[in-house]
Amino acid sequence: MENITKKKTYNKVLFYILIAICFIASVFFVYHNEAFYARPIAEVIKTELTDSTTESDMYNNEDHLYTQRITAVLKNGEEKGRNIYFTNQYSSSGAFDQEYHVGDKLFVTIKASTDKNADLTGTILDVKRDQFVLIVAWIFIFALLIVGKRQGLFSIISLIVNSVVLSFALDLYVNSNINLIFICGVCVLLFTGISLILINGLNEKTYAAIVATLLGTVISLLISALVLWVTSENGLRYEEMQFLTRPYRVIFMAGLFIGALGAVMDVSITMASSMFALFEQNQDISDQALKTSGMDIGKDVMGTITSILFFVYISGSIPMLILYLKNSYPLGQTLSLNLSLELARALAGGIGVVLTIPISLYTSIFFINRKRAK
Amino acid sequence: MNVLVLLTAILFILMIVIGGKKGVRSFLSLFLNFGVLFITIFLMTNPKNSPVILTLIACTVICWISLFFINEMSSKTITAFISTMITIVILLLFIVFVTEKSMLRGFGGESTEEISIFSLYIGVNYVQIGASVIIMSTIGAILDVAISIATSIHEILHHNPLISRKKLFTSGLSIGKDILGTDTNTLFFAFFGGYLSLLIWFKDLSYSIGEIINSKVFSTEIIMIFCAGIGIALIIPITSSVNAYYLIKKREKTENAS
Repeated sequence: MENITKKKTYNKVLFYILIAICFIASVFFVYHNEAFYARPIAEVIKTELTDSTTESDMYNNEDHLYTQRITAVLKNGEEKGRNIYFTNQYSSSGAFDQEYHVGDKLFVTIKASTDKNADLTGTILDVKRDQFVLIVAWIFIFALLIVGKRQGLFSIISLIVNSVVLSFALDLYVNSNINLIFICGVCVLLFTGISLILINGLNEKTYAAIVATLLGTVISLLISALVLWVTSENGLRYEEMQFLTRPYRVIFMAGLFIGALGAVMDVSITMASSMFALFEQNQDISDQALKTSGMDIGKDVMGTITSILFFVYISGSIPMLILYLKNSYPLGQTLSLNLSLELARALAGGIGVVLTIPISLYTSIFFINRKRAK
Repeated sequence: MNVLVLLTAILFILMIVIGGKKGVRSFLSLFLNFGVLFITIFLMTNPKNSPVILTLIACTVICWISLFFINEMSSKTITAFISTMITIVILLLFIVFVTEKSMLRGFGGESTEEISIFSLYIGVNYVQIGASVIIMSTIGAILDVAISIATSIHEILHHNPLISRKKLFTSGLSIGKDILGTDTNTLFFAFFGGYLSLLIWFKDLSYSIGEIINSKVFSTEIIMIFCAGIGIALIIPITSSVNAYYLIKKREKTENAS
């Protein structure tokens, strides 16, 4: 007994050491990985404000424009170590431009010059952001591990595995002619299996949740497809997907499919867990009693989970909405151009969530009865 | 007929059939929250208002609606409200710091064509708006965790009135662990569903991993997912301790009185 607990703490310590090593190594790497990029990277060492003006556009929006002169040193490529000079214009609102500070690392292009000894100049393409992404990722991992311990670790694993699956699936779609909806269908099967088994383990509860999730997503997708067909997509504006050179209707449907999946899973696992808990507390509980308490639980989660979806989808379009409104775009058009797809996604997800409540109620009862018969 | 109208009607009917009175309330609160979000966006167009302060006010109102309108005013919802507000303030500070540092703001390359007709010098602070977007997209999940933990801790105390504060806190944590996995999952898939077209766009242009990670749109999206996860993880200990503290204080008071 003592040996087992000793071994457990030993494993734990090993695990923490491993995590710490990963953390330090990756942070070190990301701050010194310029050599791995093909694009030139420069680090800002001096900035100087040369000009500032006040600008107002035709809609009477006032803004301040600044011009800064930047000196930076190249961190990779043939010209490594040499200074490079830029001028940058930015506004105080910063909708599409930004001020650069000393220490920022930037992706740049170097202007070709015939004179070998002349000062290098060029243009700024983008900011190097990988170090921030990595650090926030580590904070996320630590938060999940500290609060969630084992479960936290499993949800991190499930997120990673799911992203890899998604990335593979999209590669497959882009490089071949397979129907996207079919690919997404396979993905949904994998996502559901992976996430629910990792969160909950292999047991009857998980099976009930998996069946309910699949039924719920498919039925809600069918309903949305039917609605789109009946209304001939009146009111949906696909303009915001215009940057795609692919059939965006299909991609929109696939997004709907995957977007609703998480929420539907959430509902079905919550319902299954609490109904199995009720059954384990009292093995003789009647189907009727299970049904009533299951419904009560479902009613409780219905509102909050649909609002999670609403907030996620609608918040994303805030920057665009503000830009349109500040440019005196008509309100009705602003809303339909920027919100119609988001609202449709949120509503379809909501329909999935609500439908899953009775579905998971019955699948849970079915699996409970199977367990009872054993 | 309009797609959105029909979908809304279906959702409303389903909510009534399955949820009854509670379904009607849930639907109404969705509607009200939507209204609050809108008013906030309108107020944000005035450069004199700080988007972060507006977001904080909007979050308070949204919490108020979701907690005290769907569920009545009770010690359960009050503790949930307090812990949500604490979490949002902490998370907001963190997010403002991150967006400031990583220069995530404004629009990325995929919308260049769409916004080329607009004047971009509109005076509104887009750094702060970036932070608002992140906090707004998380608030639903944070509220969900807060209310679930508060409900279960009250339930535990009800069944076991002599439980110690520490026990109450740890049982709150263990309930939180179960929700943590599913809620991060919900957000994760919702984000990926919403950004599927962007991901396909990246693949179409055969961006390398380095280019994808450093691009403004993708890093915004991924940092958003991480911040949302951090928010969910953060509220679990906060709401557990607020509830444990409040309930034990209340119990001591009634004990002293009797």
